[in-house]
Amino acid sequence: MKRAAAPLAPYALVLPGFLLAAFIVLWPLWQLGVISISEVNRFGQLRGSAGTENFIAVFTDPDFLGALWRTGLWTIDIVLGALAVSFPVAMVLHQDFYGRGIARVIVMLPWAISITMTAIVWRWALNGESGMLNSGLKHLGIIDTNVQWLAQAATAFPVQILIGILVTVPFTVTIFLGGLSSINDDIYEAARLEGSSAWQTFRRITFPLMQPFVNIAVVLNTIYVFNSFPIIWATTQGGPANSTDILVTYLYKLGFRYGKLGEASALSLMMFGLLLAFTLLYVYLAAREARE
Amino acid sequence: MSRKLKRTLIAWAVLSPLVVLTLFPFAVMLITALKPATEVLSPHWVPSRLAWENFATMWSATNFGTAMWNSVYVGVLSTAIAIAVSIPFAYALNRYRFAGKGFLRQFLLVSQMLSPIVLVIGLFRLAAAMGLVDNVNSVVFVYGAFAIAFTVWMLQSYFATIPRDLEEAAWLEGASHTSALIRVFLPLAVPAITVTAIFAFINAWNEFVIALTMLRRAESYTLPIQIFSLVAGRYAVEWHHVMAASLVATLPVAVVFAWLQRYLVKGLGVGAVK
Amino acid sequence: MNRLYTGGAGLALALALSSSLVSAQDLRVTVAEYSSKTGPYFEEAAAAFEAANAGTDIQIEVVPWDVLLQKLTTDISGGSTGDLSIIGTRWLIDFVDAGIAAPLDDYMDDAFRERFFDVFLSPSVMNGQTYGLPIAASARAMYYNKDLLEQAGIDTPPDTWTELADAAAKISALGDDIAGFGLQGKEIETDVYFYYGFWAQGGQLVEEDGTSGLDTQAAYDAAAMYKKLIDDGATQPGVTAYNREDVQNLFKQGKVGMMITAPFLSGQIAEEAPDLNYGVTAIPAGANGDRGTYGVTDSIIMFEDSQQKDLAWSFLDFIFTTEWRGKFTEGEGFLPVNPEVAAMPAFADNADLKEFTALLPDARFAPVIPGWEEIAGITSDAMQTIYLGDGEIQPTLDAAAAEINGILGQ
Repeated sequence: MKRAAAPLAPYALVLPGFLLAAFIVLWPLWQLGVISISEVNRFGQLRGSAGTENFIAVFTDPDFLGALWRTGLWTIDIVLGALAVSFPVAMVLHQDFYGRGIARVIVMLPWAISITMTAIVWRWALNGESGMLNSGLKHLGIIDTNVQWLAQAATAFPVQILIGILVTVPFTVTIFLGGLSSINDDIYEAARLEGSSAWQTFRRITFPLMQPFVNIAVVLNTIYVFNSFPIIWATTQGGPANSTDILVTYLYKLGFRYGKLGEASALSLMMFGLLLAFTLLYVYLAAREARE
Repeated sequence: MSRKLKRTLIAWAVLSPLVVLTLFPFAVMLITALKPATEVLSPHWVPSRLAWENFATMWSATNFGTAMWNSVYVGVLSTAIAIAVSIPFAYALNRYRFAGKGFLRQFLLVSQMLSPIVLVIGLFRLAAAMGLVDNVNSVVFVYGAFAIAFTVWMLQSYFATIPRDLEEAAWLEGASHTSALIRVFLPLAVPAITVTAIFAFINAWNEFVIALTMLRRAESYTLPIQIFSLVAGRYAVEWHHVMAASLVATLPVAVVFAWLQRYLVKGLGVGAVK
Repeated sequence: MNRLYTGGAGLALALALSSSLVSAQDLRVTVAEYSSKTGPYFEEAAAAFEAANAGTDIQIEVVPWDVLLQKLTTDISGGSTGDLSIIGTRWLIDFVDAGIAAPLDDYMDDAFRERFFDVFLSPSVMNGQTYGLPIAASARAMYYNKDLLEQAGIDTPPDTWTELADAAAKISALGDDIAGFGLQGKEIETDVYFYYGFWAQGGQLVEEDGTSGLDTQAAYDAAAMYKKLIDDGATQPGVTAYNREDVQNLFKQGKVGMMITAPFLSGQIAEEAPDLNYGVTAIPAGANGDRGTYGVTDSIIMFEDSQQKDLAWSFLDFIFTTEWRGKFTEGEGFLPVNPEVAAMPAFADNADLKEFTALLPDARFAPVIPGWEEIAGITSDAMQTIYLGDGEIQPTLDAAAAEINGILGQ
């Protein structure tokens, strides 16, 4: 189309943005690579080469495996949970009803507030004795005695996942609403005329047409949730006794509490590799399915 | 009852759990912000009186004005930078076919995979090497650069909805590609650019880890850091101030959201998914 | 606002401008934030210093404690440290080993040294050289709620741990949301809270042979004692969800009978709960009369890379005068590190502070060894596991000791 006119034009257009984005990511990444194979003191001063020592040290740390497993749990639960909540919510918000504008604003609100602040507010509300959640639940008669939400992983982790789902829903709903509004009404008309039931319409038309949007939501949310730091950090700091640690909070402790920057860098690279592998795999599978 | 009324009731019934959970933290923030200082620690839901003065005392006690100005400055400037380089980028991705397009798309996606915690040391060394530590502009630079992946993605999905006919008509009338781009395309793209800019601004407004690393003196702090400093490691936390500050920090953004949500939907539609 | 100008002029100009702004008389001081008074105090001191020394410009950077070490780490790795910084003295050894802290002995004459209590100055001395000055010092004692004790029929606050267990049980029986003993089970100094009981049993953090003291009978007994308090309901429920601030909040609300913490609680009570009827007493002793309090100092160090060492020293000299020290110590609720300050009426006549200073002979400081942060973390994790009942006392402590020995051995 325009290729003959100005073959270099696209490259010129793309160059400034690409350079900036590449620079801000590649330079730190290279730094990480260098540090991860060096012996480094807690202040990041390099003291010679360490080969694969840092990587091995991380692999053999028992806390690492716990954090790895929990990260998988965390990511899957939040991404799927957000999907499960957002789809019906988006479908409802797509309908015309009184107060729809207000409903949309409310659903989007968590996006307006920084996740760190959200986490701090929840931590305050979850306090066993002074927290408003317990006092609210007691007023409603749902519980008798205060629940010590953050005292043990069995109650803390599910609550953290719930908070994670709540902050992920607005973005996911937005994507789905975009998807729903891109589906032509004529298709639904045709289905109705053929006597298709609501469930059949959903299964045969809505869901397949939404597939690309679901894929985008899954990929992007996985990336954000995998690396999500503030929620767990503000509420339990990965405790008690590292029982709510995910990879990124474990990474923070390793690097900035214990001063093991070499291992922290090695871990960062491993996390990046993991995420990359997952994303490529998912995209490949999604593309293959779309072709069929 | 009318069908719309029936739908309204069902809709709100389905949405109510989510609405309750979403509004809960805001309720906590509001109530705690309005409690008199001596009541802050008790968990009851109804304060004995509405301590509106907390907002005033918070403003001075927490250096709110300066932090807000810093956040505005950083948000506006970094968004401007990101948008400026993203418009041509997204335009190229959308209107041209060229080698490396797929690679660029993948690169943008991949670049979002690195958590700021992970990059923090490298970024700091970069800023130190350029003599920009504790300079608010270092934060501007980093935010702008990081925002590009997201803004390009949003822009190019919007651009896909803008028909090419008008540009092609302009060429047929003898206009050059550049002038067609500027005089015909850009005006049509204004809503898309506005929405994207606002999203980038919101991300910058709420960003935490990078600002925490780069900014040192209280005069340089952005809002999230300022509020965090009220809570972190202090021996005594003034929770009513913290909540009041969080509320005021959220309000402008929430208002923008209310106005914005109609446009969101249209944009993230068609071309977004690939 | 020169920010706007540098922003508009581009990178090169920013560099040029920033290098020209750092004139020969600029000082960058990093200050850890103890409370909302810390920043204003240092700004005031800086302004006074600048007024007395024309042409100088002191820049104070206030950093929350939680992120201080992270920021210093990134600063140092980026080669961009300031001139002075407050640090936790327990970090000092890492700074000294890496050659980051500058020795101060050349600047200190005898008259200067005599401004300090020796017990606070000595933790900053390594290899015979002084690397930091004690900017803040604190110890721990036990706060108790007089009303609750009276209601439970207890005349005098407990002096041994056995008496404490008894008293705590009686107080907890007073009501559903009342707890006898506030036990901290989360975040910083969770390990220290355990040490109070540990030292009372005669335990030592690091034994004579250089190994950890966690796998000794004293440790098992202390841990068993704490676990029993939890199981008997003598502490607040959900111990592992409460950091020190949370327990203090409960105390201020009158929901906790006794807790162990630092002098700053007195100031907080005066401001937030003036009607609270409380007292301060010594940390309980064990059966053999052993007792220990945790001594903490924070030091202010001078960076080896500083280009303004002389100016930095004058500023240090300035803030360590009696007037400025008095203001800081009183405002933050710390213990005076200078004899002259201790003689000031605000301190000498303070009944609460007397309890703290009386404990100083029994003060144990965190061992000055590399890797202490990690060791504290391991100990805290072990205690949390025990408090939750997720692990038996002996095996958990033995495992922790083994891990610590690995670090000590390096």
